[in-house]
Amino acid sequence: MPATLTILLFAISAILALSMGFFARLTRSREGKILAFVALVIFPALSVWAGFSEHMERATSTSFCLSCHVMTDYGRSLHVDDRSYVPARHFQNNLIPRDHACYTCHTDYTMFGTVKSKIRGMRHLWVQYAGTVPKPDEIKLYVPFNNRECLHRHLGSRKFEEVTSHHKTPDLLENVKAGKRSCMSSGCHDTIHDIGSLKDATFWKEGR
Amino acid sequence: MREFLMEHRIRLASVMIGAGLLLQVLTLLRIHPLAFVAFLVAGCPLILGGVAIYLLSLVSSSE
Repeated sequence: MPATLTILLFAISAILALSMGFFARLTRSREGKILAFVALVIFPALSVWAGFSEHMERATSTSFCLSCHVMTDYGRSLHVDDRSYVPARHFQNNLIPRDHACYTCHTDYTMFGTVKSKIRGMRHLWVQYAGTVPKPDEIKLYVPFNNRECLHRHLGSRKFEEVTSHHKTPDLLENVKAGKRSCMSSGCHDTIHDIGSLKDATFWKEGR
Repeated sequence: MREFLMEHRIRLASVMIGAGLLLQVLTLLRIHPLAFVAFLVAGCPLILGGVAIYLLSLVSSSE
């Protein structure tokens, strides 16, 4: 549901709910009781569901992730003018949706991947506002990055299957697909956000 | 007396639900983690409390 419609639903619900307060006498009739039920239960429930869905959708947006100061450098790393930076290459070439860049790579593509991502997000919130925020270069993944997240997008694509670097050894691609060798192994796609080197980096200017 | 009590509870419920909805719509105006927290921690309890009071008024009026 578009955000404008959600806001409109909230406005209608709030007006209805507050009206019931002003005209509480209406509930003395049968029709009034039905109206009160609609205004004080049905519409608020619909609004909360719509609002929650909207917030969940927003929580996957790049601007949401980068709204915390500690993530600033990670956002800058998406604009590095260097093809070896994996996130920058994906972001600048539209290999991932730019509006959902962080979430696309950092969610788990499993049955409960989204739920796990939200729980991790709540933990980040707790640390941000009630804990000790680490320095940007101290931030680490909870578990090593799973090839599954890359294969979700790349598996079966001609470029991925046929590129010569994926056939340096006969079993390289099979090991990658089986998760025995990380896509980010040394000598492969090993330059990720690398925010420590940003001070010397040049940046791509979008729309130039 | 019973009707008066029921209407009083409905007024209270409508104010709580209205306030919760207004608070929640404000959180939708900004994309920020704190907006989401305010939606859950402040808006939802107000609305749930209001709905509970309204349902309580229904139950007590039918006794």
